[in-house]
Amino acid sequence: MSFSKRDEDSGRIGYHHYFDKTTVLQEARVFNESPINARKCRALLTKILYLISLGETFGTTEATELFFSVTKLFQSKDSALRQMVYLVIKELSTVAEDVIMVTSSLMKDMQPTSEVMYRANAIRVLRKITDASMLQGLERFLKAAIVDKNAKVSSAALVSSYHLYAIAREVVKRWANEAQEAINAKPQSVVSAASSYVTSFGNAPQAYTAVSNSNIVQYHALGLLYAIRQKDRMAVSKLVQNYAAKSGLSGSVLRSPFAQCLLVRYACKVMEEDPSSTRAVYELLEGWLRHKSEMVNLEAAKAICEMKDATVKELFPAVTTLQNFLSSGKPSIKFAAIRALNKLAMSQPAAVAPCNIDMENMITDQNRSISTFAITTLLKTGNEASVERLMKQISGFMSEITDESKVLVVEAVGSLCIKFPAKHHVMLSFLSGALRDDGGYDFKRAVVEAIFNFVKYIPESKEAALSHLCEIIEDCEYSKLSVKILHLLGVEGPKCPQPTKYIRYIYNRVILENAVVRGAAVSALAKFGVNVEDEAVKQSVKVLLSRCLDDADDEVRDRATMYLNVIKSGDEKGYVKDDSTYALAYLERQLLNYVSNPELADTPFDLSTVPKISRQEEQESRGPLEQAGAIQSLGGRISPPHSGTASNGAGARPAASTTPSLDQQAVYAQKLAEVPEFASFGPLFKSTAKPVELTESETEYVVSCVKHVFAQHIVFQFNIKNTLNDSVLEDVNVLMTPDNDEVSLVEKVLIPAPQLVYDVPGIAYVAFERTVLEDYPECTFTNELKFIVKDCDPQTGEPDEEGFEDDYQVEEVSLAIADFVLPSYIPSFNKAWEDLGIDYEVVETLALTTSPGLQEACRDLIALLGMQALENSGTVQGSNVHTMILSGIFIGGAQVLARCRMTYDSATGVTLQLAIRSTNGEVSQILIGAIA
Amino acid sequence: MASFFESLLNWLRGLFFKTEMELTLVGLQNSGKTTLVNVIASGQFSEDMIPTVGFNMRKVTKGNVTMKLWDIGGQPRFRSMWERYCRGVNAIVFVIDAADHDKLDAARTELRNLLDKPQLANIPVLVLGNKNDLPGALTVEQIIEVMNLKQIASREVSCYSISAKNQVNIDITLQWLTKKGKGK
Repeated sequence: MSFSKRDEDSGRIGYHHYFDKTTVLQEARVFNESPINARKCRALLTKILYLISLGETFGTTEATELFFSVTKLFQSKDSALRQMVYLVIKELSTVAEDVIMVTSSLMKDMQPTSEVMYRANAIRVLRKITDASMLQGLERFLKAAIVDKNAKVSSAALVSSYHLYAIAREVVKRWANEAQEAINAKPQSVVSAASSYVTSFGNAPQAYTAVSNSNIVQYHALGLLYAIRQKDRMAVSKLVQNYAAKSGLSGSVLRSPFAQCLLVRYACKVMEEDPSSTRAVYELLEGWLRHKSEMVNLEAAKAICEMKDATVKELFPAVTTLQNFLSSGKPSIKFAAIRALNKLAMSQPAAVAPCNIDMENMITDQNRSISTFAITTLLKTGNEASVERLMKQISGFMSEITDESKVLVVEAVGSLCIKFPAKHHVMLSFLSGALRDDGGYDFKRAVVEAIFNFVKYIPESKEAALSHLCEIIEDCEYSKLSVKILHLLGVEGPKCPQPTKYIRYIYNRVILENAVVRGAAVSALAKFGVNVEDEAVKQSVKVLLSRCLDDADDEVRDRATMYLNVIKSGDEKGYVKDDSTYALAYLERQLLNYVSNPELADTPFDLSTVPKISRQEEQESRGPLEQAGAIQSLGGRISPPHSGTASNGAGARPAASTTPSLDQQAVYAQKLAEVPEFASFGPLFKSTAKPVELTESETEYVVSCVKHVFAQHIVFQFNIKNTLNDSVLEDVNVLMTPDNDEVSLVEKVLIPAPQLVYDVPGIAYVAFERTVLEDYPECTFTNELKFIVKDCDPQTGEPDEEGFEDDYQVEEVSLAIADFVLPSYIPSFNKAWEDLGIDYEVVETLALTTSPGLQEACRDLIALLGMQALENSGTVQGSNVHTMILSGIFIGGAQVLARCRMTYDSATGVTLQLAIRSTNGEVSQILIGAIA
Repeated sequence: MASFFESLLNWLRGLFFKTEMELTLVGLQNSGKTTLVNVIASGQFSEDMIPTVGFNMRKVTKGNVTMKLWDIGGQPRFRSMWERYCRGVNAIVFVIDAADHDKLDAARTELRNLLDKPQLANIPVLVLGNKNDLPGALTVEQIIEVMNLKQIASREVSCYSISAKNQVNIDITLQWLTKKGKGK
């Protein structure tokens, strides 16, 4: 039974053992009894809540039945029962139908004549069951409740309004004045006691009273005010100024520290959105460091620590505050402070260094969370000499902390290795020691990743690290990790002086492991067979691989067979050494398009239009954060050494920008797909990587343009922003006039931006069709915005009725051959060049008079051809002669390769011999035409 | 009138010690259900009422009879829920606005629909033609005619013409209702 199963993990107590949903639903009859037995009903309601809390779900019918039975309980005057009724209705409100039925009853309960306990709870339930259409009728009561003298009622109303804001923005907006009043209300005298939410069973509600002077109302009210104003930058900044100004030492309006904390956060938002306010906000934050509440101090200190590019001097007061907290008696304060310092130490270790002595003392703190943070922070701030001692201390308590903390420590050690490469042996032995500890997958993965970092960044530790990894796979319970490690061994092993050492470990896996790991091991072996020059090694790998041919698993056998044949045939480059992969985001989009379009079902998917990128780029695009993190922890001291061979370093620099732009393209494609007019254009071929600015950034209207090329159409996307806060533009069209009348382009679609309000960017589209498919027009367009201007009130944004037509000239946009070419990576240029042959080769010699040097010439050529530079040839290596090789896909799917031989002479400038080969003669001609 | 009540209640008290009964008030919107409940409970009439969203529940004690009055909203969205609150009650009170001739057809259909529910078989029904103080209000005979009350078999049906505003016939209504409590 499902019930007993849940029982095991929740470990609950005897009394609840004998019921489940069915019995509860049956027992619900007691709700209909007359007179009502309050005790019984309450117990049953408790059971319902208990079941829901266990994750039991009720069907709509069940819940509705139950809900209507429960509504019968409104007849009882028993307040404890009523509380349970409120709670159950809240839970059922999302499942049951017609919950609106209790509206009247709740409205009655929230009247000022009811008891406080009823009123506050009724308001909270009311917001759960109501909808936007009902809110009009409730508005009067809720407004009154917000400014109610009683904090419980007021809080309940404010929190409810906050939730209602999401469903009925316009109505709740009108309550700002009430919220403000709630903030400014005089504090209740301490004597006036508010009865607590929870009354004791059966007792009269007034028996339990609690004194409330937490001023929590201010917190809720401020939250609501911000929610209402958050869209309006000016209003938020005014809000912050207003309450920050009054929060001087005497008579601050915000008595609640929670509200103060909120204010700190809002102040940070203001700073984020308006960099010019940084100075003023910083002063506020610094003032809050001296607030009498520790909570506020911490919040302000954290805010300062998170400020972008804060100087050490600016950080100083915050760090001092946090340092004081480190010796606090309260563990929570200590924890918060050390955590903030830890975060700061990632970016600014120098600023945290003054706290080192305090943190040293915290290593032995009883609270393991605190000591973990202390130690990881010290690892970041400490110097080389202290590393060894710290490592010893960590090993001491590694077994006592939780997995999450272990991961933190391991990550800290991992980034430390980059900072102090000289200490790698200490850290490596620490990590391999850590691996022998017990721990879950996440922890082990963190350790393995850390060791991977060693291999990647510290060449001298590579061999030691690899042998540690070999040891790990000898006894690794996680197949995923084994596969990862085997892959790395396959990549790095062959480059080591003694590759045979690793082969033994890898082959052991083939004998001992499950199929997944065996498959990975076979692949790794094959890499040794291909990449190691020594013939003897090759021979033994062949023997080992042929033994795998008898494997029980299909995949393993298949791999072994394939690799054996690859090695025999010598066609290694195409398979094992191939380090290219498809641009995955692009591929995904193309596949989605293929699957969703029934017309394409008859034709096979065309893989040739998908651009290829190298593994390195793929990794870069996948883990930009990881990379950034690693680089950041380097402290800018060491740049990651490029790991060796030519194939690995292929096209590293200039290519780096293509992959993110492909992701960007996916975003564009999605946006364009939402425009029905473009549906018939087919899949998107290419979007320009960066929007072209058509205006200066400080003009009235800021316009930029992105070109989207489809098989037969070109869409110009104009991003327009109105920077005038006293006008609204409507019906914004872009008028594009080509400079050449004979161009084979016909304007097809014109989509204006319907309305442009201040500071909210809008988009207008213009689409052209290429009437002659074989013609790839090059031309320049002059652009003019046509629109209707209406004056508006800067405060409210309400536009006037009347407007007038106006136009605005922006800079030109041009269409070039490069727009029809997609940069694409291929692993081996020479082979592809030979394969294409000279059938469609076009060669031309040109003098590049406009380029002052080789590097500039390369840049211009890449821009003009729209192709991708391969094998790092985009960067000139000094001399007066340079050859750049380029690859791309022309619209329609034809592969294009280009070889640019350039010489530079100070007298004549750059001379270029450009050779273009393609699968299509016309394409070669067109591309030559782009340069000539 | 007070003395009349007193004697009646005394008489009841003599027969039963204490009776509790449940009644449900239904009827189209703006027929005067909530007003009627207020009049019964506190004798107060208020012109300015808001539509009932959902239901109101009032407990009224008259002598030793405690009446639980479920007053259900009459707007179309709540009509499907009338039945739930009518199950197992001592009597159903169906209030109509006797002066609003346009809505009589709808009222008749709703009443028929409600009484067709098998769960509600045999529960006595009291049809009240409210607002008889207004000009053009139907008489009892007309109501019986228009509402087709004669067609209803197999349950007790009564009909009064009342005015919650002027407190006309409230007493006989109460008398009828309390008798239902006693009859159980």
